[in-house]
Amino acid sequence: MTRLVALIHKEFTQIRRDRRLAISLIVPPTLQLLLFGFALDATVSHLRMGVIDWSQTPESRELISTLTESKSFQLGGYYSSTADLSKAISRGKLDAGIVVPYQFARDLRRGTPVDVQLLINAANANTATIAQGYAEGVIQSYNQALRTDGIRPLVRMVAGRPSERGVVRTVTAFLYNPGLVNAWFIVTGTFGVLLILNGSLVASTAMIKERERGTVEQLLMTPASTTDIVVAKITPLFVLLVMMSLLALVIMRLFFAVPVRGSMLLVLLSAALCILCGIGIGTLVATFTKSAQQSQLTAFFINPPMATLSGALTPVEAMPSWMQPITWLDPIRHFGIIARATLLKGSGIGVLWPNFLALIGFTLVTLSLSIWRFRKQLG
Amino acid sequence: MRRIFSQARKELTQLVRDRLALALALVLPLMLLFLLSTAISLTVHGLPLVIQDLDNSSASRRFADAFRASISFHVVSWPTDQQPQDALTANVARGVLIIPTNFGRNLARGVNPDVQLLVDATDSNTARIVQGYVNEVTQGFNQSTGAMAGAALVGAQVRLWYNPGRDSPKFYSPGIFVMGISMFPALLAALSMAREGEQKTILQVYVSSISAHEYLLGKILAYMLIAGCEWVLSMIALLTVFGLHVAGDPTPLLVGSVLYAFCVASFGTFVGAGIPNQAAAIQVVALGGFLLVFLLSGLIFPIANIPAGLRWVSNIVWGRYYIEIVRDALLEGGGWPAVWFSVLMIAVLGAIFYALAWVNMRRMQVKA
Repeated sequence: MTRLVALIHKEFTQIRRDRRLAISLIVPPTLQLLLFGFALDATVSHLRMGVIDWSQTPESRELISTLTESKSFQLGGYYSSTADLSKAISRGKLDAGIVVPYQFARDLRRGTPVDVQLLINAANANTATIAQGYAEGVIQSYNQALRTDGIRPLVRMVAGRPSERGVVRTVTAFLYNPGLVNAWFIVTGTFGVLLILNGSLVASTAMIKERERGTVEQLLMTPASTTDIVVAKITPLFVLLVMMSLLALVIMRLFFAVPVRGSMLLVLLSAALCILCGIGIGTLVATFTKSAQQSQLTAFFINPPMATLSGALTPVEAMPSWMQPITWLDPIRHFGIIARATLLKGSGIGVLWPNFLALIGFTLVTLSLSIWRFRKQLG
Repeated sequence: MRRIFSQARKELTQLVRDRLALALALVLPLMLLFLLSTAISLTVHGLPLVIQDLDNSSASRRFADAFRASISFHVVSWPTDQQPQDALTANVARGVLIIPTNFGRNLARGVNPDVQLLVDATDSNTARIVQGYVNEVTQGFNQSTGAMAGAALVGAQVRLWYNPGRDSPKFYSPGIFVMGISMFPALLAALSMAREGEQKTILQVYVSSISAHEYLLGKILAYMLIAGCEWVLSMIALLTVFGLHVAGDPTPLLVGSVLYAFCVASFGTFVGAGIPNQAAAIQVVALGGFLLVFLLSGLIFPIANIPAGLRWVSNIVWGRYYIEIVRDALLEGGGWPAVWFSVLMIAVLGAIFYALAWVNMRRMQVKA
């Protein structure tokens, strides 16, 4: 036992003098959380909409202003021909366009249904889906206003009096994140990615350093067992990474006001498991490579798939159905579920135990595999 | 000229003998292209939805069936005696639709029945999509009951251009393609330059008759060739597997690609010359190539949503301009009038990186 303590003490001293390691655990995670949280926002707003108004009537202007004054669209200019409009869309000057036909007002007064054409640049599928929803919503409420108030005045848009037949209306309540803050989704996901990626990076560097310099021979000469050596190596890294995760939680709270609705203990425990799992992955990579450079390059084959399949930045439901079961093999996925459910929804261990168990499983497997590989290599 | 080619040949020979590096250069970009393009998408389908039907009339069942029939939802059963929010906290569903009692009676009497939709907004983008889908299904139901007939005076004829199927990979794969090209040739160039500094072989270069420009151009040419191989492989994948095709004038793409390869290789050389430590150089290139190009180039998330304080950074992110060129060439087909500025910016940034690489290389001698 004293041997282990002495070894741990040695590792701590070594790490305390390695200022670059400490910096690499403070600066990049902070930057990443802030950058991801502030910059990654899928909200669709201020799409530039070009207008062709062949009707040139108060009615058509009414429709156009209801569309372009909304939060999601802004007026991108008036055009006189469809050729000009389509050229502007293809040059990226506009994101959408609307064409109001010549007979628009006349048909409306006669009560004949009339179509307007809506062009959306659908290159970005997400933007197109949401923009189409918005535009149809605006036109629908315009219709409702027409029905209740006649053609003019259209000022009382919101009211919408009951019609002769019942119309089903949905009343939507956004739970857990009523302000629809996108950053809450992003930073909780990024948190998990940081834990695993930094854990593996730090561990593989530390493990390989001893071998690169040949000092591992000196360790083997001591009476300490290989398990002692590995445990002693892991302990200070673990402590450092736990400190990093606390820092990350503080940033999430301070800069993004992420609520803590469930038990913090559960989040911390699963974060600790994630860190251990990351350390296990890093050690495993280190045993397969010869130099720090090689292990870093190998990480390029492991990290992007893990980060992508975790659903940390994009929803898993949007992945193809054959790919969705694979995501359960990703520890970050389980951590993301636990972190989001506990912090934002206030769920407890009662519903999260399968994810928690999975994390424990991954940690045990990667850690014991890596210790086994490490011992085999030393032996 | 001859010296430039021999320098390039030396670099390529060195690369071919390093199996890990070669895999990194040719296999990894393709792997990332396939993986990320299929996995990254924001348009969700088959969302789990719980319907609590408190009315249990024929009208309410018809309403619920409208949701069962839609491909956007996947209706999950949930006992009516349990709190609907529990389905959300337990991660069973993304939304809960509550049909109130008297739904059918109100509908028949001409009173507008309200149904409650609870959405799990932990993921705000998905929450918006759920709301949009539910509204669409409800509207369809209203039309089918005849309540909306005659009421919809203004109809919207929506045309989705360039990607009518709203196929996410079509939008993301050109971006991922650019990310691969931005990262790996730069990474290899930085490694090779940093290695020369680390192992002091740069001194041998200084005593030889090759000039700094010839040396740099030779190195850059070698990594431009690597980028070219990657480009061809990935482009084949884009055109065959992802179903993209060249829309309009291909010359901006070709000119832009050559300039971009130069820009990326110069960036790598510049980093490698500035940091004569392979491990540190990898980190810097990964940060520049991956983080900046991934985050601030509009690859997934629109640039317009980046806060103004950070948005200016995207103006100097080289990948952003190339993404614009590739997307234009493969989706929108705007040609030179649409992308001339991006091509110009890539050339400017490439020249800046080359100048920086040259300055750093002169300093390397002092350090070595």
